[in-house]
Amino acid sequence: MPLANTSTSVPVIVDNEKCIADKGCTVCVDVCPLDVLRISEQTGKAYMAYDECWYCMPCAADCPTGAVTVNIPYLLK
Amino acid sequence: MVDLFERYTDLDDVAQRLAEGDAGERRVAILELADSGDPGAVRLLAAAMADPDAGVRRQAAVALGEFDGLEAASALAIALLDVDSGVAAAAADSAAELKDVDAAAPLLPLVSHERPFVRASALRALRELRNEASLKPALAALADKDPDVRVEAVGTVGYLKDRTSLAALIAAAADAEPRVRRASVGALTFVRDEAVVATVLQRLSDADWSVREAAAEAASFLSEQPAVGAALIAALDDEYWQVRLKATRGLGRLKVRASLRKIASQLDHAEANLRKESATALGEIGDASVVPFLEPALNDPDPDVRKTARWALSRLTE
Amino acid sequence: MDDILDNQTEVSCDVLVIGGGTAGPMAALKAKLANPKSTVILLEKANVKRSGAISMGMDGLNNAVVPGYATPEQYTKEITIANDGIVDQKPVLKYAQTCYSIIEELDSYGIRFQKTANGDFAVKKVHHIGTYVLPMPNGETVKKALYRQLRRARLLISNRFMATRLLVGDGRIAGAIAVNTRSGELLVVRAKAVVLCMGAAGRLGLPTSGYMFGTYENAANSGDGYAMAYHAGAALANLECFQINPLIKDYNGPACAYVAGPFGAYTANNKGQRFIECDYWSGQMMLEFYNELQSGNGPVFLKLDHLHADTVGEIEDILHRVERPSRSAFHAGRHTDYRRQMIEMHISEIGFCSGHSASGVFVDEYARTTIPGLYAAGDMASVPHNYMLGAFTNGSVAGKDAAEFASGYELAAFDRGDVERERERVLAPTRRDDGIPPNQIEYKTRRLVNDYLQPPKVARKYELAQQRFAEVREDMERTMIARNAHELLRALEASSILDCADMAAHASLYRAESRWGLYHLRTDFPEKNDNDWFCHTLLSKRAGRMTSEKRAIAPYVVPIADDEKKLYDKQRVGARAAV
Repeated sequence: MPLANTSTSVPVIVDNEKCIADKGCTVCVDVCPLDVLRISEQTGKAYMAYDECWYCMPCAADCPTGAVTVNIPYLLK
Repeated sequence: MVDLFERYTDLDDVAQRLAEGDAGERRVAILELADSGDPGAVRLLAAAMADPDAGVRRQAAVALGEFDGLEAASALAIALLDVDSGVAAAAADSAAELKDVDAAAPLLPLVSHERPFVRASALRALRELRNEASLKPALAALADKDPDVRVEAVGTVGYLKDRTSLAALIAAAADAEPRVRRASVGALTFVRDEAVVATVLQRLSDADWSVREAAAEAASFLSEQPAVGAALIAALDDEYWQVRLKATRGLGRLKVRASLRKIASQLDHAEANLRKESATALGEIGDASVVPFLEPALNDPDPDVRKTARWALSRLTE
Repeated sequence: MDDILDNQTEVSCDVLVIGGGTAGPMAALKAKLANPKSTVILLEKANVKRSGAISMGMDGLNNAVVPGYATPEQYTKEITIANDGIVDQKPVLKYAQTCYSIIEELDSYGIRFQKTANGDFAVKKVHHIGTYVLPMPNGETVKKALYRQLRRARLLISNRFMATRLLVGDGRIAGAIAVNTRSGELLVVRAKAVVLCMGAAGRLGLPTSGYMFGTYENAANSGDGYAMAYHAGAALANLECFQINPLIKDYNGPACAYVAGPFGAYTANNKGQRFIECDYWSGQMMLEFYNELQSGNGPVFLKLDHLHADTVGEIEDILHRVERPSRSAFHAGRHTDYRRQMIEMHISEIGFCSGHSASGVFVDEYARTTIPGLYAAGDMASVPHNYMLGAFTNGSVAGKDAAEFASGYELAAFDRGDVERERERVLAPTRRDDGIPPNQIEYKTRRLVNDYLQPPKVARKYELAQQRFAEVREDMERTMIARNAHELLRALEASSILDCADMAAHASLYRAESRWGLYHLRTDFPEKNDNDWFCHTLLSKRAGRMTSEKRAIAPYVVPIADDEKKLYDKQRVGARAAV
């Protein structure tokens, strides 16, 4: 069976102005227990690559520049 | 193959990045120091407190929270004085993580610093260190003009449990600031002499309900004296039920028979928590004359009240 | 991104600890300190810094046995009674005797417990008999403090490696196989002793919101440890004793009886009244909760609106910062405020977790499993009602004993074919061009778990579940596809989840009675049957097949008088489900 791409709105938002992933920071990517954040090859900034979030918030709490916001996923909001 | 194991930090490499990198790169270097677990990192973090970028200094102040001892405390003492309030706030949080009793030395002089935030932060950090040398400055800070400083001072003094501080704590129990009065009442009860008893009981008629609540709780740990019982009975008339609840608990714990009637009359109070505490106290006091009052509580709508009534009745009819 | 690399590496160590959450770091630290010259590896699927159940800290200890407040004997009695007697007491007693020294040790690491104004531990009374709750209003720093200790001891930490199978040879443990979750590379770790600290099976049932990762347990805890222990031939105890918890409706935050309870908050029905009779956190309590939900008095609420606004503020300060900090965003989104209204609650999805109930890999008081050299601790080991402090304490016990075991043995030989076969199993989904993605395999498994395994347990439904699981398994083995390393991680987790679902069904059908309140409530055997079932059930893999057997309960070391049992029974009512 062929695969489709179904879109979802992701709960984790990164403010590119504040994010310093392009300076070598990987804090949010490192601390995510579900490993759903990545650094974009295009922008050099962090983003949520997989919508598999426990909304536990280490990514936001540990971000040195306060660039990460965790929203409650829409399905349970 | 990817890296098999987490790397341990090369301090020379980090030092170079701190010297040559831009602000973002310097922050990343600081993050690495925070995780290094290497005591040698403290020296570099202390040096970073002179970084021109406030974000880097703030990161260094956060990172210092991962380390303990005199050297880390010295760096934090400097960070507490930073012109940037974010740096100073991070330093205050990190200083509160210190555990080593010897970390007190650089913080002691800050208790008399001109800025209230610095004085309060230093006292907050000193509390957990329990260093005897902090008693004198903390006692002096009980008379500070800033209420936040006085609250922290009570904390530091309370942890030291030093009998010579009693008079000052008793005075603090009449402080203008409710938070200071509340903290003092809790800090006093490591001694149970007459002056302490009198102070705690006086606070049962404090203007602030949270002080009255703390006093009622503290009173229940005092030895049984007629004055304590009478004051707690009077507290059963408190306008706020959370205060009455603590007073009831105290009367049960101290087995004050004179309170039986009044406690029994609370068994139909609207607040289930108070009904439950009343049933508990009646069981603890252990006077069978209240059995007729307790029996209706077996049919209380609240299961905790029913359960407690069953327990109390089984004690009273044994 | 996440491209699959075809690589395999082999390393050796004295002690391998799998899982870097709560028990694991403690086990690794103790093993290393017991023998500083030894090689200790701590393997973690995520990153040790923030992995596991206490990723964002913990708001308190629920089972602290602090001198002056409770005794180890009293605690052992209460745990025994709360588990309907199905307890080997020795590990419980050992925990109770050891845990205070662990609290002091954690305090020295900089983990903050609530203290009185005089700096003493502020233990709170929540349960009817004993006093065991020690709040941690600043408990958000637990993981940080723990990680600091690991770095100071310069442990070997391997992050982003998911262990998939254990290696066994010479009748004892030989090591483990793991896969890198970013590259799919294989790692073979040979070890003289292995400690499993892989957490609960928390991704078993599906949350009612339908969001697959909105589980009560950390969603990374997909039951891999249970599956690995099973495939290695270790015995698992009492898996039919599910974990079910009361939660805020739609949100995975717990009821917080332990946090808000000492302040006067409680669980209420739609009349604003308490309804729970049971004192101890147990299946009995969950049954009462379930019955109320189903009744005309439902739904169930968390009630704080009778408390002073300042008191509520104090509670929020803890609840919104520690353990589940997104709670405040959730309430803000719904415009709910504890000061003004009761907050609707519901019941969680099912899982395995000894931390809250009793199901886990069978261990003795040294955390030893039934395979020599293999240990288990924390939420996946069978010591009941262990919570966070139990994970720390038993992790410590396991680490020390594993270090000692390792010092007496060489590396065990094992069948190289096992590694080859595992490699083929692991990588199979990456070698297909077309098929079912892991999220669909997982969703279907978990939807079936909800449909058929959620108590009350109906035998016919369980048999249907077993048929459906077998069909999903066939799909998984023949057609599951993983297009990158991240999907491979999810594919391997889906396999663990399906194994756990099969074990849950098998164990539940075996125990032909009802016990532990809602956790094992069978409609066809609604009564507790002490004559036939006052025993453990042990599930294991024998000759490739899932089997269950009875095991006698070890003689109690803390006897419980009949009148004490009665005293407890008198406190409870209505052990029947509204079915």
